[in-house]
Amino acid sequence: MEGVFGIGWLTALIFLPLCGAIVLLFFPRRCEGLIKWFTLGVTLLDFVLSLVVFSRFDDLKAGMQFVERFPWIKAWGAEYYLGIDGISLLLVVLTTYLMVLSVLSSWSSVEKALKEYMIAFLLLETGMIGTFCALDLLLFYLFWEFTLIPMYLIIGIWGGPRRVYAAIKFFLYTMAGSVLMLVAILTLYFLHAKSSGQYTFDLFALYNTPMSIKTALLLFAAFSLAFAIKVPMFPFHTWLPDAHVEAPTAGSVILAGVLLKMGTYGFLRFAIPLFPQAAKEAQITVLVLALIGIIYGALVSMMQDDLKKLVAFSSVSHLGFVMLGMFAFTHQGVQGSVYQMLNHGVSTGGLFILVGMIYERRHTRLIKEFGGLAKIMPIYATFFMIVALSSIGLPGTNGFVGEFTILLGTFKSKPIFGILGATGVIFAAGYMLWMMKRVFFGALSHEENLTLKDLNKREIVTLIPIVIMIFWMGIYPKFFFQKMDLSVSAFLKDLQTRQSLFVENTQIEKLGGR
Amino acid sequence: MWGMEFKKELIGILPEIVLFCFALVSLLLGAFLKGASRRITGYIGLLGYVVAFFTIFPSGTETLKAFYGMVSFDPFSLFFKVLFLVIGFLVVLLSLDYAKKEEVGFGEYYALILIATCGMILMAASSNFVTLFLGLEIMSLSIYALTGITREDPRSVEAAFKYFLLGAFASAFFLYGVALLYVSTGTLDLMAFGQLLKSKAQVLKDPTFLVGLGLLLVGFGFKLALVPFHMWTPDVYEGAPTPITAFMATGVKAAAFAGFLRVLLFALPSLPFKWQEVLWVLSVATMSLGNLVALRQDDIKRMLAYSSIAHAGYILIGIIAGPERGYSGALFYLYAYAFMNIGAFAVVAILSKKGHPNTVLEAYSGIASRHPLLALSMTIFLFSLAGVPPTAGFMAKFYVFSAAVKEGYTWLAVLGVLNSAVAAYYYLRVMVYMYFREPKWEIQTGSASLAGVLVIILSLWGVLQFGILPSSLLALAQTSLRLL
Amino acid sequence: MIEYVWLIPLFPAIGFLINGLISRWYNLPKAFIAWVACSALALSFIGSAAVFFELLKLPPELRVKIPDVILFDWVVSGDLRTVIGYKVDPLSMVMALVVTGVSFLIHVYSVGYMHEDPGFARYFSYLNLFVFMMLNLVLANNFLLMFLGWEGVGLCSYLLIGFWFENEAPPRAGLKAFIVNRVGDFGFLIGLFLIFSKLGTLIFDEVFAKASTLDPWTVTLITLMLFVGATGKSAQLPLYVWLPDAMEGPTPVSSLIHAATMVTAGVYMVARCHVLYEMAPLSMMVVATVGALTAIFAASMALVQVDFKRILAYSTISQLGYMFLAVGVGAYSAGIFHLMTHAFFKALLFLAAGSVMHALAGELDIRRMGQLKEKMPITFWTFLLAALAIAGIPGFSGFFSKDEILWNAFSSPKGHAILWLIGLITAGMTAFYMFRLCFMAFFGRFRGDHEVFHHAHESPPIMTIPMIVLAVLSVIGGYVGIPHVLGGHNYFHKFLSPVFKLHENLPHGEGSEKLELLLMVVSVAVALFGIFLAFNLYLRNPELPKKLSEKWAKAYKILWNKYYVDEIYGFIFVEGTKGFGRILWHNFDEAVIDRTVNWIGSLMKIMGAGLRLFQTGFVRDYILGILVGALILMLLIL
Repeated sequence: MEGVFGIGWLTALIFLPLCGAIVLLFFPRRCEGLIKWFTLGVTLLDFVLSLVVFSRFDDLKAGMQFVERFPWIKAWGAEYYLGIDGISLLLVVLTTYLMVLSVLSSWSSVEKALKEYMIAFLLLETGMIGTFCALDLLLFYLFWEFTLIPMYLIIGIWGGPRRVYAAIKFFLYTMAGSVLMLVAILTLYFLHAKSSGQYTFDLFALYNTPMSIKTALLLFAAFSLAFAIKVPMFPFHTWLPDAHVEAPTAGSVILAGVLLKMGTYGFLRFAIPLFPQAAKEAQITVLVLALIGIIYGALVSMMQDDLKKLVAFSSVSHLGFVMLGMFAFTHQGVQGSVYQMLNHGVSTGGLFILVGMIYERRHTRLIKEFGGLAKIMPIYATFFMIVALSSIGLPGTNGFVGEFTILLGTFKSKPIFGILGATGVIFAAGYMLWMMKRVFFGALSHEENLTLKDLNKREIVTLIPIVIMIFWMGIYPKFFFQKMDLSVSAFLKDLQTRQSLFVENTQIEKLGGR
Repeated sequence: MWGMEFKKELIGILPEIVLFCFALVSLLLGAFLKGASRRITGYIGLLGYVVAFFTIFPSGTETLKAFYGMVSFDPFSLFFKVLFLVIGFLVVLLSLDYAKKEEVGFGEYYALILIATCGMILMAASSNFVTLFLGLEIMSLSIYALTGITREDPRSVEAAFKYFLLGAFASAFFLYGVALLYVSTGTLDLMAFGQLLKSKAQVLKDPTFLVGLGLLLVGFGFKLALVPFHMWTPDVYEGAPTPITAFMATGVKAAAFAGFLRVLLFALPSLPFKWQEVLWVLSVATMSLGNLVALRQDDIKRMLAYSSIAHAGYILIGIIAGPERGYSGALFYLYAYAFMNIGAFAVVAILSKKGHPNTVLEAYSGIASRHPLLALSMTIFLFSLAGVPPTAGFMAKFYVFSAAVKEGYTWLAVLGVLNSAVAAYYYLRVMVYMYFREPKWEIQTGSASLAGVLVIILSLWGVLQFGILPSSLLALAQTSLRLL
Repeated sequence: MIEYVWLIPLFPAIGFLINGLISRWYNLPKAFIAWVACSALALSFIGSAAVFFELLKLPPELRVKIPDVILFDWVVSGDLRTVIGYKVDPLSMVMALVVTGVSFLIHVYSVGYMHEDPGFARYFSYLNLFVFMMLNLVLANNFLLMFLGWEGVGLCSYLLIGFWFENEAPPRAGLKAFIVNRVGDFGFLIGLFLIFSKLGTLIFDEVFAKASTLDPWTVTLITLMLFVGATGKSAQLPLYVWLPDAMEGPTPVSSLIHAATMVTAGVYMVARCHVLYEMAPLSMMVVATVGALTAIFAASMALVQVDFKRILAYSTISQLGYMFLAVGVGAYSAGIFHLMTHAFFKALLFLAAGSVMHALAGELDIRRMGQLKEKMPITFWTFLLAALAIAGIPGFSGFFSKDEILWNAFSSPKGHAILWLIGLITAGMTAFYMFRLCFMAFFGRFRGDHEVFHHAHESPPIMTIPMIVLAVLSVIGGYVGIPHVLGGHNYFHKFLSPVFKLHENLPHGEGSEKLELLLMVVSVAVALFGIFLAFNLYLRNPELPKKLSEKWAKAYKILWNKYYVDEIYGFIFVEGTKGFGRILWHNFDEAVIDRTVNWIGSLMKIMGAGLRLFQTGFVRDYILGILVGALILMLLIL
């Protein structure tokens, strides 16, 4: 059993933050500096750990790596079963990376209960990484639901004026979705047991559970609902703006950067491979919703007067791209959609951090309160411009690579969706740059803004990693693509084979029926 | 030979004997001692539970029908014995904390708790309708008294009175039901009863039998607080001293379920089909009403009362799902529920203060900043009650729902999960007060004594242990049924 | 040398990084900044020249067979493989030379022009970035890298138009430019998707090699989509609207980006993709027609404008129309030829405009100018030469290129007499408005504030020298392409012909030469007439224009308001989108979706409240409840 001190790599990755949180529990509330530095240290260590995993990951091997598998609840055949492929690997690294940034970004913005704040974030990290690593459905569900708790507290305690409403809405909305998934999981579990005689939540065992198309569609719908709410796909998105607007900066960063990806990841790892035939049936529906999401999100965000709400709706649009690519079921589409998950994490995360910075200074996020900031905060304006450009997918930045591959992949399988999706690129330029114009350009109209300070060292240090990623991922994407290349092609191959296989099965069933 | 047999039987019933003796001791001490020294009686009670705990095991796990088949010592009763002793122990421990601020009478108080526990154990062990009823009454009478033990508190007295009246009414139903069953089958022994049903299927059509069954169900329904026999619950839970409320919510419910399961397992192994539908309706009504009304409660004890109603509904799902997976699910649920519920009530009890019951949600405003750890534990208990992983509450729900799905009651499971989603709201609401509101310093709150802390820690252990590594308990729950 | 072609874009990139990351934040001295920026361009110009001469050494047929210079893989996913790689052939090198050469001159000019500006470093970093992007556009060996340059130059133009962001207008103009360009880029993207999904590659050589396998409709679609991109970038109908507003940027920027280089990208793209266009006659026709229409349409608007730079802007649009007319009729080298000469004289015209503004404290309204030839002779003379060139007066560069275009428009099988006629009329208009401008600005009496006139002065040498160089080029620039009929050898055409292989067909039959000469004479006559008209109207009797404008008030009004196109677009697209967005936001998102969500929540609470009413607290009611329940149970069981 190789790993750190005999502990499996992934276990270490998952539970390091938890241990950190427990240790933090015994810190005296007084010494805030110590708390901050300790948390930063833990997240950094976890990040380094994930980089080690990244470097040790063999991208010439398809299938799961760093697998850890122990019996957990024998009576039910549930296992402590972890493993990552190229896709989850990238998402795990994204998580640890964003955690470091969000700790940095909340250095001076937390007024109360700093200790609890940091604890909540560390718990959240454990939950998120666990979700990306779990290959046992019950274990996955455990982590999946667990993430709700810290996020609920983060929004509710450290959030804005309407935080209570936002937090409860977030919790109930997402929970309502996932409980149905629980029933679906159970149904699948027993279906599999009936056919194979052994009780297990092992994802890959469950992959080939024979079932009628009707059942498959129902179960797929249950899974999809849970994930679609998380993503969020139109029309299940309304919890997002509230949650984002009320959440503290770092909360929004993690929410947009990682939690939403749990939804898209869920589709990729669970909903689609578990029910390939159903996914095929539902393809057009999902594509349409994704498309609506892209354009709808863009148009609505164009009209926002609150910066954070604008970014929130832009997320709806971006995640629409992710879903579009994924359900194109072409190599470029899927790979692009995974890549876009990362991009969105980086750029939208960056945007939230930037908005948070101005909010700390002005205690407002209303666009009309600003104007001409580029004059007084040039560094800030420059960073904002770069991140905004990556968010609207300018070639040379990460956003372009993602959107281009997604649209290309979509165009290959469903041209019309590719074309309509591409219009989103125009709208994106519309809302983002119009906002830039109103916030940064023109005359310095409000005298409150005359005294604004430009970014300090710590803030610059927070932003530089983001800018680096933006250009690195934009100019040499191959580095990341090759990590997931085999996983993606495996995903597609498996999909096609089983879709065709299913067709035969149904025919056999029909014959049997006669 | 005869002596041998009798010895075994005595060993089997040893826990009850022990508990009863300690009850008498604390009663007498309570009578003779004066002033603060009477607190000793509480520790006597604790000791009683500890001793009783060690007297469980000599009887071993092999099944034994004792006292002319009136009671049967088997893994099932063993399982519940342990549960009741744990509950009783925690309740007494909590009472020690509670007694500091509230004038709960001394000797008799603990004596009654011990005796009620005897009744519960008897119910779980009974293999005859008579013993079942005896156990029920021993338990109930003590609880009536306990409910009204704080004499000067009108709410407590009112609660006791209501509970007594309705309880008596329900017992009548129960008894009458038993009588009718006797009429239709001519036996009171559960086993024989079951054999008879198997052999003579036409009995199942016999209206007398069915009516009897119905009345019996009403009796159980009352103790289990199933809708529409639940109405006493909020008033009584609110009025009773908090530790007793905890005792009722966990112990009484568990005992009632134990008796119910006994009947189902022995007497009615082959249930008429309609029976399942009835239970289906009951369970859906119970959880839905419980949750919906709980949404509107501003008194935490009432809120928990309704939540306990809803939980009875969930457990019923397990019972509907049937012996193979559902019953063990129900057993598991009862354990999990005991820990999380006692934990929650413990926090309520600790936060209350002489003259300041602090049961309105307002009183919890900003508790997090005044008693952070207490608030944290409450949060964990509440999430467990809401069924969010990684807590015992989640595992328990998961278990019963899985049973339902397995037996094809998928829609019941769906209703169940949707209910738990709705329920989440009122648990979250408590946290809203605890964490998201500014503290109200003018509200005086009590603080935890060592005993209280101990209760919290034990409950936390239970909630997390069974939430993360439930295997051991699962195995227990299954074996305790398998050997029947 | 050729394998080091990547150095050409590299130098400006380095310049950008130095000025953008260091100079700007540690505000280094302006001299340093200027040196970095200009020497970066000088080096990359030398580089292009070196590669160019390498190229000349090779025999013509080999010049197009040089293997691409691949740096590293870019976007690689499944069967999609794109690279950062550069292509060296006569076409790309001509472009590289023009871009780097003109850019260098304008950089130098800018050093003088922007000297007082606080954003000096920012300005030059943007400018270098632009050149970097532009070079990627013209040197790219695949569509995706071209698209990077394509959108990159768009970004820089956005940044530079809005360079003076403290004011209201420039950022708005920049935004408009970017979004309109995005509309074009949308089309370009679709074109790319089509190409890839049909041919499975985006590398130029492979695409063009496999092109023959495409069915005509696909090709037509592809080429049209690509052309949509071109109309955006090169300000053709219907997407030209951004260019006039783009004049809000600093004048050297208008000169470099919005006259000489970026806006010609579309022409270059069509020429680069001639293989595809040749396969799609319909698209060719569209290109030619759009070009011709734009040419005359824009020229007509230029007739009455009074803003120095805007007149030049409309003239640019019109000249770009010319170039599209050329490539549209298959006269690619003619198009590129005009692209080059235009780069010289139009850049010069803008620099002159800048120099005038410099002298008159930013004055742009030609109604408040005049008599400047005395104050600023160099500016005047250079301007005059450029004007003569654009008017197509024999002996000046514009004459040769424009005439080749007109001749091809008439003679080429894809051409048509009407196209030629439109071109001819446009030529006349061009001559007219250029000299109208010339006369109003430099001749007559000064009509503005005399204080201003008093301070008016010639610009410093650092500005005038580049102008002089460009003036020379706009005169002799055409001599590389003297047509055969005038006894020339059209070296330019020969140099490019290997690229366009068979695709060019200058008819050399009997009679055609006479015809060509005839047409040449006609066009020159038209141009002279235009000049004469301008002379009459604006020098001889300056009150005449007023009369005319009153006589044809309606037409005048329409031209004055530029056919109201901006207003129409603004209403339909801008307000339309905003309105739609607002409706979606308030009347749908909030009013329908979110309300439903909350409604479900409150429904639960209401039900709770309702059920709660049964909880009366009276024992009798509870007993009743139990009884009723019991009864129901009985009914259910029995």
